[in-house]
Amino acid sequence: MSVLPLDAADDASTQVAPPSSRRRLLPAALRRPGPLLAVGWLLLVVLLSFTAPLWRPYEVNDQDLANRLSLPSGAHWLGTDPLGRDLLSRIFTAGAEPLLAAAVTVAVAFGIGIPLALIAAERGRRVEQVISRCTEMLMALPSTIILLAVIGVIGVRTYVVMAVLGVLISAAVYRIMLGVAQSVRQRLYVDAARVNGLGSLRVNTVHVLPAMATVIAVQAAQLFGIAILINAGLAFLGFGPAEPVPSWGIMIQDASGHVYDAPWLMVPTGVVLALTVVAANVLADALAGKVAHVTAPARSRRPAPVRVADAAPADPAAVLEVRHLTVSVDDGPQLVSDVSFTVAPGRVLGLVGESGCGKTMTARSLLGLLPDGVSVSGGQVLWQGRDLAGLTEKQANGVRGREIAMISQEPMVALDPMFSIAYQLIGPIRRFRGVGRFEARQIAAQLLRQVGIVDADRVLKSHPHQLSGGMAQRVCIALALTGEPQLLIADEPTTALDVTVQAEILSLLRALVRDTGLSVVVVSHDLGVVADICDDVVVMYAGQVVESGRTAPVLDDAAHPYTMALLGANPHVPDGAPMPTRLASIAGTVPAPGSWPTGCRFAGRCQFTQAECTVPFPALPAHGDGTVLCTRVHEVHDAGVSWHAERAGAELPPAAGARHAAEPTPTAGASR
Amino acid sequence: MLGYLTRRLALAVVTVLVAVLISFLLVHATDGSPGAIVLGPGATPAEIAAKNAELGWDRPLVTQFLDYLGHLLRGDLGTSIIDSRDIGADLAARLPVTGFIALFATVLSGLVGVFLGVTAAVRGGRFGTFITSSSGVALSLPVFWVGILIVYVLSIQLGWLPATGYVDFADSPIDWAKGLLLPVLALTVGGAAIVARTANAGMRDALQAEHIRTLRAVGTPAWRIRYVHALRSTSVPVISVLGIQFIALFGGSVIIENLFALPGLGQASQAAVSSHDFPALIGVVIVATVVVVLTNLLLDLVVAALDPKVRTA
Ligand code: SF4
Repeated sequence: MSVLPLDAADDASTQVAPPSSRRRLLPAALRRPGPLLAVGWLLLVVLLSFTAPLWRPYEVNDQDLANRLSLPSGAHWLGTDPLGRDLLSRIFTAGAEPLLAAAVTVAVAFGIGIPLALIAAERGRRVEQVISRCTEMLMALPSTIILLAVIGVIGVRTYVVMAVLGVLISAAVYRIMLGVAQSVRQRLYVDAARVNGLGSLRVNTVHVLPAMATVIAVQAAQLFGIAILINAGLAFLGFGPAEPVPSWGIMIQDASGHVYDAPWLMVPTGVVLALTVVAANVLADALAGKVAHVTAPARSRRPAPVRVADAAPADPAAVLEVRHLTVSVDDGPQLVSDVSFTVAPGRVLGLVGESGCGKTMTARSLLGLLPDGVSVSGGQVLWQGRDLAGLTEKQANGVRGREIAMISQEPMVALDPMFSIAYQLIGPIRRFRGVGRFEARQIAAQLLRQVGIVDADRVLKSHPHQLSGGMAQRVCIALALTGEPQLLIADEPTTALDVTVQAEILSLLRALVRDTGLSVVVVSHDLGVVADICDDVVVMYAGQVVESGRTAPVLDDAAHPYTMALLGANPHVPDGAPMPTRLASIAGTVPAPGSWPTGCRFAGRCQFTQAECTVPFPALPAHGDGTVLCTRVHEVHDAGVSWHAERAGAELPPAAGARHAAEPTPTAGASR
Repeated sequence: MLGYLTRRLALAVVTVLVAVLISFLLVHATDGSPGAIVLGPGATPAEIAAKNAELGWDRPLVTQFLDYLGHLLRGDLGTSIIDSRDIGADLAARLPVTGFIALFATVLSGLVGVFLGVTAAVRGGRFGTFITSSSGVALSLPVFWVGILIVYVLSIQLGWLPATGYVDFADSPIDWAKGLLLPVLALTVGGAAIVARTANAGMRDALQAEHIRTLRAVGTPAWRIRYVHALRSTSVPVISVLGIQFIALFGGSVIIENLFALPGLGQASQAAVSSHDFPALIGVVIVATVVVVLTNLLLDLVVAALDPKVRTA
């Protein structure tokens, strides 16, 4: 019989939700037509099957000899079998057994699998190992054949046989549940409960089991369908209820003998059986939330960007000139609005801001690597006289790597785990430089040495999982250099690395800029990185550039209150002193895209907010060739007030921040 | 790598031993009495006891088990209590029938399933939804019902193929292949659906992986990203599911061999169950376990070859 494997524990079904306190009649997952129909059908089959003796139009063995093998008619709604017995009556009378038998299998499988998983998760590694080895063995047994052997010995005792099936399947249930139980146990609230002195049983029943509820429901529905199929399969082989008692399997066996003279016979029973199993699986999928991501994004069709008329010639001194760049969610809010900056040859520009400020989106749009459903909706990205924002995917692909390259923030997952480093470097090298395999390998080794890897040959032979984070980032940089680009975009290049490794990577970047004349755009929320390697800096807040200019004046003499706030307690870092490595915490959070206020977007968190801040205003020149976007810059900056740092280390909850903003704000004259 | 394989091999051997023990205990520890079965309902208790003694069933359980193991190690699975045929030889003759059906169905499921699942993941949209939901339906259909439907459509309505009739390969390879085609197709419907789902999910995950963005950032052509990089990481779950499929199809052969009258292992096990032929039952369990265990070992090797994390561990 077709034994469907329980879905491997790797998909959505293993995601653990904390127990929810609210209970609804129907979980949201089921309030869609498919799952609703499935639940409806299952309820209908259960109801009709268990009440069949009460309503069936004929007794199961009533023979209507005049109407043998008849098609559906007024007298027999679903037709009759070879002995003229009514199919409708027989199908639903037969339904009770498979439904109950499947329930027995599910109950046994979970009755064994779940407690074992809870024990294994609770008692630690040794116990878990023993139980896991045993279940692995159980899973390696041919369950169908064992089931048949059981029947061969004890005879056709359906419920016992289905209970044995439950035992065999409990191993698979254990495997799935163990993963869930272990991840639930790592949650804080379980620890907290244990600290509070709850006994093991109560911790399990109050905290762990409810968190497993969704997974249990998914697996139970799936298993129910499998058990029904197996039960029907056994009956089909003659190991079910004996004639004249009806069973789905025997009725289909009957139909197989009449496929020539009465093909209709296979339809009613088969459809009822198939629909029941389909319904159980639809239910399982809906509970697992799979249906939700079935509606995959189609190929992204970008809406034609609305161009800002901007015919000014490209700045000859710039490699990259971003003009009025706007990035939006398709049919949704803006993520980046009207961002402009330029990158000169051989210079390093930093994009800084808290997360949610649009700096990563800005950086990704330079290469056309925005996520699905997000696109450039206005402005230009001028690169050597071409507008990258207007390129087709194919044209953009010609620029990527060859002219502009990118390294990302998670070096450990940025390389393909399935391929060797050599493979991953040689491919692009051959494509970019048109060389043979042998030469490409030599270039790869040379690139690795250039990024400071001493034993290049060993690294070439390794796979990503064998590298440390710093080593992986060096390989990523080497990969970015394969096409000899003029511009490198580094998205938080050091965030995921240890502090000592961070310094090494930064000095590597600095050396590359010095030796090769590469321009770099660094995205970072780390002011230390910016102070360390950036020549120019662009501070972003809520999708806008709030301040820009050369790094030294911007950091030494911040004009915008947001930049001041980022610099926090050390607004003026003396030369040689270390910069604060993380942004100082600012009360409140960045407003989400779509809820940006008119006027100054920082107004909700600014200490200097006044009425004039809520009407739109243009950016003003600052720091020589830079800009600042604050209408009160003269009162705030030029008068020399500084940001009043929050108590060091104390992060205020958002509510406090909101209150703060509503307080009367000091005027520039009020010296603090 | 070597340690890993040694551990898998040890587990395999233990699994086979456990299967022998379980099936042996199942047959002997319950009130099964071969004498009563051989002699039929008319036999007196004395006659039954004499027959049991003749078959060696009156000896202590441990002796019988060790005796059985001894024979097993020499490749002797004993003789049937029903018709005294050599069980080992009988099953050996039947193994290829079931093996080829399961193998062909697995290969076909793999080809069709990977094609559909990957295409659905790459194309997305309506087509993707259609493939995923129809494979959800296909994997829920009972295989015996699918078999009948296929016979009805292909043999009866379209008249393309013979519905039943197994021909030995030695007699006519072409008729042999024709005879296997319908059973293989019937098994492929559900098999391909499961593979399609796995390939689809794997491919989607793979295409969203972080390293795909790195590949795009160096201008890797789309076909290469899809069919070299993403497909390669999808191959691991797909191969695993194909292994599970082969095992499931091997077990599922009981039904399909019944439906299409094929002289395979499934038919033998159905006969052994119906006639309570205890030695044959144990033999079938052992052969099936060995097949499962060997498949799992092969699977481990293939996954190790595909996944560098396992290979270099
Ligand atoms: S002073 Fe006004 S305009 Fe300037 S940052 Fe604060 S709220 Fe914005």
